[in-house]
Amino acid sequence: MAVCVAVIAKENYPLYIRSVPSQSELKFHYTVHTSLDVVEEKISTAGKAMAEQRELYLGLLYPTEDYKVYGYVTNSKVKFVIVVDSSNTSLRDNEIRSMFRKLHNSFTDVMCNPFYNPGDPIQSRAFDSMVSAMMVQSS
Amino acid sequence: MSVPDYMQCAEDHQTVLVVVQPVGIVPEDQFFRIYKRISSVNQVNVRDTQRALFIRYRHHYPPENNEWGDFQTHRKVVGLISVTSCSSAKEWPQTAERFHGQKELFGSTLYDSRLLVFGLQGDIAEQQRTDVAFYPSYDNCPDVEKRVEDFVESIFIVLESKRLDRATDKSGDKIPLLCVPFEKKDFVGLDTDSRHYKKRCQGRMRKHVGDLCLQAGMLQDALVHYHMAVELLRSVNDFLWLGAALEGLCSASVIFHYPGGTAGKSGARKPSISAATDTGKRHRPGALTTSGISADTSSEIGRAKNCLSQEDIIEKYKEAISYYGKYKNAGVIELEACVKAVRVLAIQKRAMEASEFLQNAVYINLGQLSEEEKIQRYSVLSELYELIGFHRKSAFFKRVAAMQCVAPTIPDPGWKACYRLLLETLPGYSLSLDPKDFSKGTHRGWAAVQMRLLHELVYASRRMGNPGLSVRHLSFLLQTMLDFLSDQEKKEVTQSLENYTSKCPGGMNIITLPDGLKLPPVPFTKLPIVKSVSLLNLPASLRPHKVKGLPGQGVTSASPFIYSPITLHSRGDDRTKKIDFQWVQGDVCEVQLMVYNPMPFELRVENMGLLMSGVEFESLPAALSLPAESGLYPVTLVGVPRTAGNITVNGYHTSVFGVSSDCLLDSLVGVKSSGCTVEVVPSLPRLQLSTSLPRSARLCGEDLSSSVCLQLFNGETQQLVITLENIGSETLNTLEMSSKTLTTKEKLFGDFLSWDLQDALSRLPLKPGQAVTVPVDIHAKLDFSGQENLLQDLNDDGISVTGLPISSPLRQVLKPRPENKQKTNTEGGTEGHSGEQKINRGKKNDTLEAVLNFRYSGGLGQVEGYYREISLGVKVDVEPSVFFTRVSTLPASSTRQCHLLLDVFNPTEHELTLTARNQQLILHSSECQRMAIQVDKFDFESLPMPSHDVLRQSSLYQQEEERQQAHGGQINSTLDLRWNIISFSCQLLSSLCSSGEASVEGVLTQLVLEHMQLAPLQWDVLVNGKACDSDVVADCKVGDAVPLEVKLTNRSKSPVGPFSLTVVPFQDYQNGVQNSELQDVVTFIGSNSFYIDSVSPAGNSTCVGALLFLYTGDFYLSIKFQDDSVGRDLPPASFCLPSVHVRAQDPA
Repeated sequence: MAVCVAVIAKENYPLYIRSVPSQSELKFHYTVHTSLDVVEEKISTAGKAMAEQRELYLGLLYPTEDYKVYGYVTNSKVKFVIVVDSSNTSLRDNEIRSMFRKLHNSFTDVMCNPFYNPGDPIQSRAFDSMVSAMMVQSS
Repeated sequence: MSVPDYMQCAEDHQTVLVVVQPVGIVPEDQFFRIYKRISSVNQVNVRDTQRALFIRYRHHYPPENNEWGDFQTHRKVVGLISVTSCSSAKEWPQTAERFHGQKELFGSTLYDSRLLVFGLQGDIAEQQRTDVAFYPSYDNCPDVEKRVEDFVESIFIVLESKRLDRATDKSGDKIPLLCVPFEKKDFVGLDTDSRHYKKRCQGRMRKHVGDLCLQAGMLQDALVHYHMAVELLRSVNDFLWLGAALEGLCSASVIFHYPGGTAGKSGARKPSISAATDTGKRHRPGALTTSGISADTSSEIGRAKNCLSQEDIIEKYKEAISYYGKYKNAGVIELEACVKAVRVLAIQKRAMEASEFLQNAVYINLGQLSEEEKIQRYSVLSELYELIGFHRKSAFFKRVAAMQCVAPTIPDPGWKACYRLLLETLPGYSLSLDPKDFSKGTHRGWAAVQMRLLHELVYASRRMGNPGLSVRHLSFLLQTMLDFLSDQEKKEVTQSLENYTSKCPGGMNIITLPDGLKLPPVPFTKLPIVKSVSLLNLPASLRPHKVKGLPGQGVTSASPFIYSPITLHSRGDDRTKKIDFQWVQGDVCEVQLMVYNPMPFELRVENMGLLMSGVEFESLPAALSLPAESGLYPVTLVGVPRTAGNITVNGYHTSVFGVSSDCLLDSLVGVKSSGCTVEVVPSLPRLQLSTSLPRSARLCGEDLSSSVCLQLFNGETQQLVITLENIGSETLNTLEMSSKTLTTKEKLFGDFLSWDLQDALSRLPLKPGQAVTVPVDIHAKLDFSGQENLLQDLNDDGISVTGLPISSPLRQVLKPRPENKQKTNTEGGTEGHSGEQKINRGKKNDTLEAVLNFRYSGGLGQVEGYYREISLGVKVDVEPSVFFTRVSTLPASSTRQCHLLLDVFNPTEHELTLTARNQQLILHSSECQRMAIQVDKFDFESLPMPSHDVLRQSSLYQQEEERQQAHGGQINSTLDLRWNIISFSCQLLSSLCSSGEASVEGVLTQLVLEHMQLAPLQWDVLVNGKACDSDVVADCKVGDAVPLEVKLTNRSKSPVGPFSLTVVPFQDYQNGVQNSELQDVVTFIGSNSFYIDSVSPAGNSTCVGALLFLYTGDFYLSIKFQDDSVGRDLPPASFCLPSVHVRAQDPA
């Protein structure tokens, strides 16, 4: 399913980024990094309109030749980015949504950990395994 | 058409294209100067009309693009300006020929052309030609602009005529089919008479006319024409041209909506002129609502109808692009349309849609692109992304462009361009190249991406041939990304850094790039990481001390209160806190840093020194090597302050991997410090202390510069010569000396240390390099009393007594035997053995410790009131020499004398000789002997009494103690007890002699003292007028009256008496029998008792009687007190009258 999952802090630096090991990690770093432009743009335009009832799911950020990049922003401006292989056409929007919801729940758990310092890279094993599960489903 | 013009924007549709080219050899800089002047004429208001003509100049234009001129007329080259140098008339024909050749190139489309000739003078230049202008030189051509304006007007005339020609061409039967180059072959053999074909021709022509109208400044007409063209072409499905018509519609609308242009600052039009052209005609979009009632309402409405709204513009662009997309050969057109649309969207601030256009543009395949074109394409994409605010995307493409500059397929890689482009990507990746931005806590960013970029910068700068830059970038990488580098990467990075620095060492200078970017220095604050900084005090012997009581000192605290429980809480202000010790100018001072090495390998730090301010400071750098991932590691940095004042530690400098860095403490995170400012006092002299004895380990608990340790027998004296050398640079002016004996459990007799400083003082002032010596006598004299347990072993039986034979049972045992300690050792045979055992057990070496202090000052520091102290610890292990196990007295024959009996024990392993006055006693090891010394009794009263204030201070007990001590001292000095250890077997070859004094002070008890005290009442007995004492035998004749005089002198302080004495004569038979029944032998003349009235102090009283001896013989007279209770308050010795020995002889 997903080939890369990233959690990006409010200040736009990565808290967590993981990609399938088969491909170059750096490439996904670039992909996710550039996708932030779109995320910011979407937030700034949508944010003005209805800051309260804004939908967290941003939808497809941009397609590339090989991948589709989806975005999600929590109310605290933490961004989730999921990169999906474009060849996987069976994937529905709803499934992407549910993936983000799962990610958000797991992230909330991480934040609830009293030993986690907000702003630090996420090193939770539970979160890790959840992301792994998300990526394993694909192949 | 294969070369896209990425700089195009919508309003370019309005312009006419003029190519400016050099002919022959024209210096490039001169050409561009002229080109620039020509280009300034980019907008011309045509005479008699209110229209304006916009001109686009190109100095290079591919002719194949010109072929698309019918498709979009702004692509058509309509004007040519040639610039040429021509120095002589001879060259002129050739030049003219070339000009014609150039005209041929664009011949089919040119409306007009001009030739600017520079340098030619003479006949040819005189002739008036419209198409050629002559100028004497490049600097002397004032009317170039005017010429160009004329030229543009001539172009306008042609354009206008063409427009009118085409616009009114409706009546003509045949409308030619306009087509793009790649279409030509498609229309071969097509039915030209079909309605479909005609419509197509009409539509294309309509579109063409629209283009011309737009160029000619007739926006409204253009809109109308475009609308018509769209309708016509849509009906015949001529998609390529439909796209063009739509784009034309968009362009016209954009020009209407955005008179300022969409190209950004560089291509901004002059709004004033633009406004002038539009006077009364054109309104801003907002004007439609605000000024609804206009003079010409109908035209307003019509305009609004024709013109596209802002949203429609984008819709139509999308449509146009989708049509273009149907044709592979129209890639360039599609790409340019995308670029134009993006610019419009950027102005509309619709970034998301713009990004979609750009995304589309990325995928447009233009076939084989040259590397240069690729670079240009990526750069433009980057710029456009920047335009819509997608900085990250922009950076991404810029980086791709940079990489393209040095693609392996390029034979001559442009590293400089690559480097420049990479630098431009930095903001997009939120990297700043200033290490200060990274010093705040942990780094947060896209480390992987940033590291990659830095690596590329390093590589590019190296290939550029600028190792200084690579070193700077690599340093930055190492400093800021240290946490993200793996161990392997750390190794690689440092290795390459070392390689680079071997060629070009890194420093703290700011590198300024040619384009003005400044690269701040990168101090390695993490190699090693400093955790704490603490200034160290000088060693004790070098610390300056302030002389107390000098004015202007002490009242330094800010609070008026001497003590306040409220401590001012200054958090985080530790670094500015002042330290309460001082440093001295000219003396090495130390700062201790706790550092650790975060690298997985050994870190060599060279040239590590301090950065100080406030005072001239000479730093003495150190080199250190830190083991891999070391824990906290103390490093001491040293330096010498050269002037006095307040010095502040600002930081430190290091040299790691060939990069020298200045690390300021202010910019370091998490450095603990207990203050960084310290006072430096003016220079003081410095003394070095050396002694005649070897140095020893320091005494614990005392802050001493050095110490000596020696071993002495109790009572021994040794001289210690202390040499003080001035090793500083200042003259020593004052020197004081004092000593302090550390408290010991042992009682010390006499002065432990005594010295004579006079000689040394006479040599002051002491210049640098000079030395003085101070002799110090060390005198170890502890208690000589034997331990209690020894006493019991020494029975009288086994002890040989020297001196006087003990004949009197009056001997007093003064120390009571402690019965409870008695052990089962009464057998004579085992006596010595057991005694020895006990001695060994009881023998403990006592130590005496004292500190000698030298206080000295000089130089400027003395003026400021500072001095220094150097101290020498003296430690003496005192071994026992002799023990006086028991002391007692025996009265001597004379009342003025007594015998002091000393039981002397030799606890040493050597033979020992003890001398006292005229006697000598040899003691073998562990031998105990008794020594009797005849001494005069002492008149303690004559000793000086302690002064009154001392008396007042000390308690009664202390007074008593002191008095006893004084008495003991006096006795001791009289006795002059000395011991001598003859064979000092420890020394193998030389049989050294140790000698020393012994003292009985400690063993004397109150009782002994009393016995040794000269009675305060002095009794003198005179027989026959002669003083009688114990040994003196008074002679007298039988039958003669012997006068007996008893005289009492009172030396005590109180009156004594009255006493009554009785004289009892007796005879001693020397066998223990005394005969006192001598009434028949001796008679008293008068009374045999005397009465002495009370005697006042210092007074005396005498009573006289007489005796008559009737027979010859030796007689003794015993003078006794009648009433014993009289003088109970006086010591018994006071009532000890001398016995009188009278020998009566025959009168013959």
